Amino acid sequence: MPGPLNGTAPGTTADDLPRSWREALPGTSRRGFLAAVGAGSLAALLAACAPGDTKTGSSKPTGPAKRGGTLRVGTPPPPTSVDPVTAYDGSAVALIQLVADYLVWLDKDFGLQPRLATKWKSDKDAKKWTFTLREGVTFSDGAPLDAETVKASFDRLLDPKNKSAALSAFGDILAEGGVTAPDSSTVVFTLKRPYVDFPYLVSAGNYNTVILKKRYKGDFTKPHSAIGTGPFVLTSYDASKGASFVRNKRYWNKGKPYLDGVEVTFYRDEQADVAALQSGDIDTQFLSKAQLVKPLSGSGDVVVDEVKSTNLTLFTLRTDQAPFDKKEVRQAVAYALDRSALRKGIGSDIGQLGNDHLFAPAYPTAPEDIPQRAQDKKKVKDLLKKAGVKHLRFTLTFDEPGKDYAVAVQSQLKESGITVDLDQQPSGKFYGGDQKKDTPWLFAAATLVGYAGRPVPSQLVAPLVTSDAIWNGAKYSNPKVDKAAKAYDATKDEKERAAQARIIAEALHEDVPVIVSYWGGAVRAYNSTRFTGIEAHPSQFVDFSGVSKA
Amino acid sequence: MTRFLLRRLAAIPLTLLVVSALVFTATEVLPGDVARTVLGREADAAAVTDLNRQLGLDQPVLVRYVHWLGDFVSGRWGTSYTRHSDVRTLLLDRLGDSLLLALAAFVLLVPVALGLGLLAGLYRDRLLDRVISGVTLALGAIPEFVTGVVLMVVFSVNLHWLPTSARLSPGEGPVEMLRHFTLPVVSLVLLCTGYVARHVRTGTIAVLEGPYVRAARLRGHSERRIVLRHVLRNATVPATSALGIQLQYLLGGLVVVELLFNYPGVGDLLLRSALDKDLPTLQATAMVLGVLYLLVVLVADVAYRLLDPRVRLGGAVA
Repeated sequence: MPGPLNGTAPGTTADDLPRSWREALPGTSRRGFLAAVGAGSLAALLAACAPGDTKTGSSKPTGPAKRGGTLRVGTPPPPTSVDPVTAYDGSAVALIQLVADYLVWLDKDFGLQPRLATKWKSDKDAKKWTFTLREGVTFSDGAPLDAETVKASFDRLLDPKNKSAALSAFGDILAEGGVTAPDSSTVVFTLKRPYVDFPYLVSAGNYNTVILKKRYKGDFTKPHSAIGTGPFVLTSYDASKGASFVRNKRYWNKGKPYLDGVEVTFYRDEQADVAALQSGDIDTQFLSKAQLVKPLSGSGDVVVDEVKSTNLTLFTLRTDQAPFDKKEVRQAVAYALDRSALRKGIGSDIGQLGNDHLFAPAYPTAPEDIPQRAQDKKKVKDLLKKAGVKHLRFTLTFDEPGKDYAVAVQSQLKESGITVDLDQQPSGKFYGGDQKKDTPWLFAAATLVGYAGRPVPSQLVAPLVTSDAIWNGAKYSNPKVDKAAKAYDATKDEKERAAQARIIAEALHEDVPVIVSYWGGAVRAYNSTRFTGIEAHPSQFVDFSGVSKA
Repeated sequence: MTRFLLRRLAAIPLTLLVVSALVFTATEVLPGDVARTVLGREADAAAVTDLNRQLGLDQPVLVRYVHWLGDFVSGRWGTSYTRHSDVRTLLLDRLGDSLLLALAAFVLLVPVALGLGLLAGLYRDRLLDRVISGVTLALGAIPEFVTGVVLMVVFSVNLHWLPTSARLSPGEGPVEMLRHFTLPVVSLVLLCTGYVARHVRTGTIAVLEGPYVRAARLRGHSERRIVLRHVLRNATVPATSALGIQLQYLLGGLVVVELLFNYPGVGDLLLRSALDKDLPTLQATAMVLGVLYLLVVLVADVAYRLLDPRVRLGGAVA
């Protein structure tokens, strides 16, 4: 499974820069600081000065696209090196997506779009997948794209030596040696187990799977090594300042991109990034944050595009030890939460309510008729009584991005007489330690962990709630769920898949190893007077090939 | 004077050794794991162990410290763990930018603070003094991130007069640099002026009450000549150490202004490398900033000696 585009704040992806901001100011709490200079004041000031109606929504190019222009983008500097093989943070992934392309693109509605592959099919077991490559595609240096190159790209990701961030996504599905190239335009993937959603694993949804040259040796910050088949070509990169790109004249999609180039500026501080957007110093952002840009929507020229996503803050309860070894206690916590308030207050009023199973409404297979769980204080009381718990008190462990969510949970549960002790840890400690023995994010009694969106639900179900799964912090084990999860991956019949999805969802809803109070959304803000065709993406991915001057 | 200088210069390496040991110890107790930062929280555990071994992080602290110290002294500052780039290039590049901003602020700070302090002292307890003292004191109490944001909202976001970023775009000349630097420099000067001006004001008042000023007045010298020849120089003495302190702050403590005005400098580098446990970068940055600090203190002391003959001649300060 791809990493969660870095440690994630509720409903957001990428960038831990706010942390640096805050830690630069000893003695200033985040809350106080934000109140003083943050979204609050800036946004309020800006909104107060702004005339006009609220403009929210995507802009569709009308009429023939105008050519030319350089799009200026602000983003946090990638915290680690920009290398498609190991990258896991949002800025690095976006920079790579300007230059390199996937076999298949993941569109904003979780659909798959042919890119370097024009079609794909599987055998009847969904174990052998055949992809046909697009004819006439060349890399920006003129080298042609062929099946051997594609094979080399996947071999690179599958070799454990290369420490690819995609390794965990391929997991027990695709291993080294599973990729062959029978002829120059055909690539065959032979899986270890049936997996109906496999095209998602070789799409942008598994964001490390861009197709690179055979001799790629790492480092995507040098123009001579950053060679791809994407819409733009890297011309310069400065780890402190930013990066410049020009239009790829050899791009396979003739006529595109419309832009002459893209100029990326790194902003260490998210407020500075937003101010730059407001003042017109930049035109858009890779990783807009709803809580920062939504208040600016309609003030001046800024427009905020919004999409459903599958980002979530997972509230995990350890099912193998007191007090959460009793199902009723877990259910009580779930019924004590005011989900709408969390979605509104913490989730910036975007996204949809969660129902404690891992099938987001955005997924096509999500079961629709499981009753929505809502706050019910009487039920909380009854459930706790039934479990024989007089006074429920537990410690909630989380790191900085989960802080606001944690405080809200604490005060909501207090209304039902449940005491929550907050244990905020530095991210390094929270995710540190032995991942199999004692790391807090997987071993504390109750935790909050942000996850970036996954393109398919099985990428949440399998690693989070099946027995002994890698990120099963709940230590949940239910043979019924394990079996249904396997069957879901192996069933091509849509009806049968829906049935398996229902089994999983009902079990999770009933057993509550994890609480999903709301699913996040994603936004992208841009200056509508200068450019059109900029859209939000559930995973904040970037496709600027269709962007043109307004 | 020469002996004084030599003695002070000799103490610098010793101080730096202590600094390096402290920084090394401090980073050891910081939570977190370099390899996990580089590879991401969901990276394979074996890959994390493997990378830690590659970076030599499985070695005992003392071994790593001695290795690092040897390398540092011989000019090999290593490669950043997280950025995969040469630490010296990275650091010197950032340092150059930081010094430019710090010096720009300092160059504006000196005349402004001296002028205002002198005026306040000359017009002691009158309206002008009250206004100067009150306003500079108030501004000194407001953190630069507040003044900075206000300035930015007014002059960049609303009026569109000045850019939000202090960073020059490629191909921009000195005029553009002035535009980029105006907001950060002004917010720094607003912050630092009060402290220095207060010292100058106190110095001015003390000098005006001194016997030689009275003597000069009795001799019939013009007020202008008294101020320029006697008051200014003597009132500056107590301000040198205050200016020294502000310069130290400007050289190493601009993290907030650098962040706000998106000016990647050495403060940001120090902060980031500490958060990521990027030891090569952190150590080198701490050492270089240490050297700068010590040099500033030395310069301030030398200036103090040159300005005040009593100290210069080794006599007691009355």
